[in-house]
Amino acid sequence: MATLQSTAPPEADEAPRPPVVRRKRTVAQRFRHDWPLLLLALPVVAHLMIFHYWPSLWNIIAFMDYSPYRPFWENPFVGFAWFERLFNDPYFTPALLNTLKFAALNLLCMFPLSVVLALAMNSIISLKVRSTFQSVVYLPHFFSWVLVVTVFVQVLGADGLVSNWIMDGGGERLNFTSNPDTFLFLVWLQWAWKDAGWGMIIFLAALASINPSLYEAAASDGAGRWRRMWHITLPGIRPVIILLLILQIGGILSVGFEQYQLQRQAVGYQATEVLDTYVYYQSIVGNQGESFGTAAGLFKGVIGLILILVANKIAHRLGEQGIYQKS
Amino acid sequence: MTAINVKPQRRNKNRPIWDEEPSLAGKAVKFMFMVCYAAAIVLPIWAVLATSFASEDALNRAGGSLLILPTEVSAQAYREIFSGGALTDSLVLTLTLTFVGTAISLVLTICGAYALSRTGSLLHRPILWLILLTFLFGPGMYPSFLVVQQLGLFNSYWSLILPGAVGTFNIIILRAFFMNSIPGELLDAARIDGAGEFRILLTIVLPMSKAILAVIALFYAVGYWNMYFQAVLYTPGLETQPIQVVLQRMLMSTQGLPEGAQATAQYQARGESAPTAALKMAVVVCTIIPIVLMYPFIQKHFTKAVITGAVKG
Repeated sequence: MATLQSTAPPEADEAPRPPVVRRKRTVAQRFRHDWPLLLLALPVVAHLMIFHYWPSLWNIIAFMDYSPYRPFWENPFVGFAWFERLFNDPYFTPALLNTLKFAALNLLCMFPLSVVLALAMNSIISLKVRSTFQSVVYLPHFFSWVLVVTVFVQVLGADGLVSNWIMDGGGERLNFTSNPDTFLFLVWLQWAWKDAGWGMIIFLAALASINPSLYEAAASDGAGRWRRMWHITLPGIRPVIILLLILQIGGILSVGFEQYQLQRQAVGYQATEVLDTYVYYQSIVGNQGESFGTAAGLFKGVIGLILILVANKIAHRLGEQGIYQKS
Repeated sequence: MTAINVKPQRRNKNRPIWDEEPSLAGKAVKFMFMVCYAAAIVLPIWAVLATSFASEDALNRAGGSLLILPTEVSAQAYREIFSGGALTDSLVLTLTLTFVGTAISLVLTICGAYALSRTGSLLHRPILWLILLTFLFGPGMYPSFLVVQQLGLFNSYWSLILPGAVGTFNIIILRAFFMNSIPGELLDAARIDGAGEFRILLTIVLPMSKAILAVIALFYAVGYWNMYFQAVLYTPGLETQPIQVVLQRMLMSTQGLPEGAQATAQYQARGESAPTAALKMAVVVCTIIPIVLMYPFIQKHFTKAVITGAVKG
């Protein structure tokens, strides 16, 4: 049945369609028809169950005094005691604040940089220059954080290239890659180096989808370069900007792990501790216990979930699509 | 006939007629911005490459960091990497993980995407929800760690592949491609001719999706090749570590940090000297090379893949 429906000629889309009479099929019939698809889906479903949903259920130990050395059912429930301990932990608040600081940096400084890059790129007319530039700026996205940090230390570190140049000129040794006070700037620089180019890819696609006749009409009405950008280009990429903004807000507490963990030794934990490294060092390296680490992770997950739902709601209020819609 | 020169400026012939030629200053600023940006990316990579081929003497004279121009070319660092020691083991391990991991991930992704590409099939919506919900909520680091331990995967190389084998975002990208870019009529015709789902997938759908599959394979392969966090978390006790972990230890050992002193001690205990800048940069080059080699073939499809993912399925 289903196969025949979708072979309907395209003009059927335009004429008001007669209500499709669908024969109700029993589950057994549908199974006989669809079992190959179910079989194909099975490995993925099994994987998600084992490595996503099963661990998600284990979050329940955030509410228990859990010990792996006794049977699960003998672990007593302790309510929100671990969360209380988490919020009273002297290292937790700085980690949370750092996370928010890096997220704000990402939102305010990375995002606009990608947009500006995309606009600059879009105004290049020569296709050859465009594709060469694109190849170059996308490349660092595929480098690991270990590599990025290594290159930064070699170039901007105390014994690095720039430091040596400065000292040859009689200046002082550069202390950039191990200075907690400038770590925020270092993080931004590393982000910009690694991902700003990649970030523009989606804006470029949005720019390419703007109808060129809009520009032509505006230009013949006397709108200059900047007016066209303000009234055509920016509104044209607004849905994409809002979509990415929502995703960014949802991921505010997940600013990454590797970049901070890798520079923790050099810069010190005060400046580099974010929620993910906090969970790692408190519960897996340290001895705060299983329940404590789970509670910290659960806090992060729940806040992230709330943020993404709220951001999506706001996008709908603003008349944008958001990432999902009520269907 | 008198020629009246109404166009004092040279116009790019590709520029649309309504678009005014930008001012010289504007062009210069844009040009400088883009050149500086590209140079900031290319120059460090070049310096890394140059340093990896530098001899020890040349490096010492330059202060031990990076060289822009290698004065004496030496492949000593590369000989050391491929001489069959710990670095060779690590590279072989990382390559194996990348190949096995990418193969597993790709098969799972293709199966999942195709299974979900036909709306209205049995259990279609619940399975789709199962995948979409992973975008909203992650299980958290500790519970994942716990489950890896329960499954007996802790300190096993499988823990570097299995927990992250399915990228749900890639499934959604591929599913959107299957649904939007492969004509349904074609598949229906095949079904009427009696082809089963597996045969349709293998003989019609996959050959038509080579480009996007290449991009997704690249995303997976890069993920496995760059793996660091999972190795730190799940396999801290293994002798041979993925190349990124090895590189991190080398970095620490030359930064004069406590963790580095430990790493240096380990090198000395094994009768090796601490890595020179050339060796370190040669390892960096080795981690870049596979990416750079695959890159030109796949780069032209990036935008398509990213955009297909943004289209709602």
